[in-house]
Amino acid sequence: MIRRDVVIVGAGPAGLSAALTLAERGLRPTLIDENPAVGGQIFRQSVTTSGTGAIGPSSDDAQRGRQLRRRMGDVQDKIELLTDTMVWGIFGDKQVAVKCSDGWQMIHAAHLVLATGAYEYVCPFPGWTLSGVMTPGGAQSMVKSMGVLPGKRVLVAGSGPFLLVVAGQLQAAGVEVVGVVEAVRRRDMLSQVGGLLACPAMLRQGWQYIRALKQNGVPLLWGHVVTKARGDGLVREVEIAPCDQQWRPVSVCRRTVEVDTLCVGYGFVPRSELASLSGCRMQYADELGGWIPEVDTSLQTSIDGVWVAGDGAGVAGAVVAEAEGTLVGLRILAELDQFKTSDLIRTEQRVRARLATLRRFRSALDQIYHVRAGLDDLATKETIVCRCEELTLEEVEAAAHFGGTNQRSLKVMTRLGMGPCQGRMCWPAMARRIACQTGKCQDAVGPISVRPPAVPLTIGDLLNESNSLDLQAAEALRVEV
Amino acid sequence: MTDAADVVIVGGGVIGSAVAFELAQRQVRVVLIDKGLPGRATSASAGGLWPLGEAVGLGCGVIYQKSRSNEEGAEESHPGVLPEDFQHFLIRSNALFPELALRLREFSGVDIEYKPGAGLIFLIYEEAEQHWVKELRASVPMADGVELLTPAEVHRLEPHLTSDLLGAALLSGEYQVNPMALAEALKRSAIQGGADFRPDTIVRQLERRGDRITGVVLDDGIISCDTVVNAAGAWAGQLAASVDIELPVIPVRGQVVLTVGLPSTLRSCLSTSACYLAQKAHGEVLIGSTTEKVGFDVSVTSQAITSMCRGAVRAVPMLRRVGVKRVWAGLRPGTPDELPILGDVPQVTGYCNAAGGFRTGIVASPLTGRIVAQSIVGETSDVPLDPYLCKRFSNRADSVGN
Repeated sequence: MIRRDVVIVGAGPAGLSAALTLAERGLRPTLIDENPAVGGQIFRQSVTTSGTGAIGPSSDDAQRGRQLRRRMGDVQDKIELLTDTMVWGIFGDKQVAVKCSDGWQMIHAAHLVLATGAYEYVCPFPGWTLSGVMTPGGAQSMVKSMGVLPGKRVLVAGSGPFLLVVAGQLQAAGVEVVGVVEAVRRRDMLSQVGGLLACPAMLRQGWQYIRALKQNGVPLLWGHVVTKARGDGLVREVEIAPCDQQWRPVSVCRRTVEVDTLCVGYGFVPRSELASLSGCRMQYADELGGWIPEVDTSLQTSIDGVWVAGDGAGVAGAVVAEAEGTLVGLRILAELDQFKTSDLIRTEQRVRARLATLRRFRSALDQIYHVRAGLDDLATKETIVCRCEELTLEEVEAAAHFGGTNQRSLKVMTRLGMGPCQGRMCWPAMARRIACQTGKCQDAVGPISVRPPAVPLTIGDLLNESNSLDLQAAEALRVEV
Repeated sequence: MTDAADVVIVGGGVIGSAVAFELAQRQVRVVLIDKGLPGRATSASAGGLWPLGEAVGLGCGVIYQKSRSNEEGAEESHPGVLPEDFQHFLIRSNALFPELALRLREFSGVDIEYKPGAGLIFLIYEEAEQHWVKELRASVPMADGVELLTPAEVHRLEPHLTSDLLGAALLSGEYQVNPMALAEALKRSAIQGGADFRPDTIVRQLERRGDRITGVVLDDGIISCDTVVNAAGAWAGQLAASVDIELPVIPVRGQVVLTVGLPSTLRSCLSTSACYLAQKAHGEVLIGSTTEKVGFDVSVTSQAITSMCRGAVRAVPMLRRVGVKRVWAGLRPGTPDELPILGDVPQVTGYCNAAGGFRTGIVASPLTGRIVAQSIVGETSDVPLDPYLCKRFSNRADSVGN
């Protein structure tokens, strides 16, 4: 087993900022990412390619991406960068089991930073398993990473500013976006503008997205939800309806839209499996997207030396992630006794002030967009709620009736979450539904029980304990970043 | 809040559910309480119904004996043959499964996945292992039913097994169930029969008045009853200790690995000195299991996972290419003599053990449920309860201690 001072999992805005903060002050952090290049979902292309291209992120995002890229270029030999590397388990005291090209290896970290981002929240509704129904993020990565168009006529639906980003990118790629359907009512959004004004630049960016859609003739429908998708194997039409404040559809006003693709997602769920495997005390935070590790004001978890930053610590977007990553980097410097200059103390004060401002903005966003109860009732008895095991809502509710009131017992009773996704896809929505059915709060229903391996792994991988990490690291550093 | 029942069963694993089922069948007002925390042995069991295998020490006991002999520094390990009365107990309990599967299906709609296959195959890699098996067949009457196979015969039975074998012992008629489905079916059938099931409920302690146990204390009240059944698995010792009853049950951790679902690959269950394997009804292969005395720690270790996987690949080489779905651990309720602890305890009334299932809890559950229920309602017991009473330990302590 090898030892490292700081191991950072996830090279998106949070992990990258933490790594840069440490490397710029003389430490040599290990930065792990499952993708071939750093940048995370948001900066993947802008960091690794020279231009932002026609369908890159917004100008502000591109600006931040360029800045991270420049900083990365300055200190790349000071970061042990392990791309195409996945963490499959965390054992004992910060022993990080990584899967690499020739097997797996254990790294004992003195400090472990989890910057693992978020998944999209999917909510079952009749027809959601049809071909051509996907998440906005899924459509985005088709366009961005694979250069494939998800369809010809696309409806983008759900909630949150991310819909606007994806709709813009799809349109720029040549897809006909027939509309953006946002569950939040316009007046419920406007009532929070006071909080949003805490960060005028970000508010302006939001308006720019909306204006761009308008200019391109894409209708934006506030206060509507998708209630049904229909088609013969492939989605052909989508039923939408106006909804109330709780996102409950008003049935009498349903109408249908013809599409060949539906992108639907209601925000994000923190990807907190590794925190859970590390043994961190977890808590349920509805506004932040789900189960997250408990942290102190420096983002250290209940386990000494395990830190979290970014969406995995509570969904808040790339700007917050970057600031949180920097803060964690600074705090680790302090712990390792490298925190001596007044310059660093000032930097920490600045980052904390920035986070405080962002907190007002983000809590307004949370107020606007956090998932409402109306979605929980979209699925009918026959709707598949666990795609891996093809379970219907009726089957899961029957099990809940017999005392299956947490994921563990439901899994035993129905195999909910026993498939390849291990509950990541189905459980967030089912937990809401079960909480509703049994009159419990989400805390009581509990999170998914996370077990290794956190990523796909074969028995053969397990039998190849590798010692090539240093070699591989040297190799990775030669790759242009 | 105060509640009342005839019997309160603490522990909703396979044993508690079996007792609840049998009591509900006898029109007893029963409350079944389950805390729903991770680590129960039922959820980390292979579900092997290997009465003969366990009785003569060729089931999952092989690994246990090996780890024990390693602890004690013995040069080679031997199968741990269980006492003859318990051999018969297991055989008899196992014989209840075919009918039980049908009844549970009828009552609860749950399929316990009772799957007759080729049997249990103990793989013989080494001379010493071959020697044991021959010795067993000569010295243990029950081991008559163990058939010796040549490598070619093994291959005909299970084409995916390694050919690098000296041979194998076949215990035909040793099958498997889905242990979690079994517990679930028993529980649901108990509920159908009128049992009151309390999920996610923690019993803080028992309530004792003088020499009588009068109920259980929950966070939000007390349930009074005539009899408390301690089916708290690995936690049974702690529960008993809450009212000064000494019950020598300790947690013995078992880590298991579950593969992704495969097409039908193994017809039989396999047992080796490194691990056992069973392909379950949904195609996943369960690879078990460690036997570790590490208290109530239910975490998994990379060493244990890799060593079991190494054993699995040695037995079935194609598994090397197969994905791992999940790895987890459960706590077996271990006892000093590997036998269950059932029935009442001296000088205390209103209390009944259904504890210490260790590594035979699944196969023993039908008969355990039945005789514990029989003892509570005062029926004649199907098999004598005497060898399993807790008092056997105090007797022994007296004779050994002095």
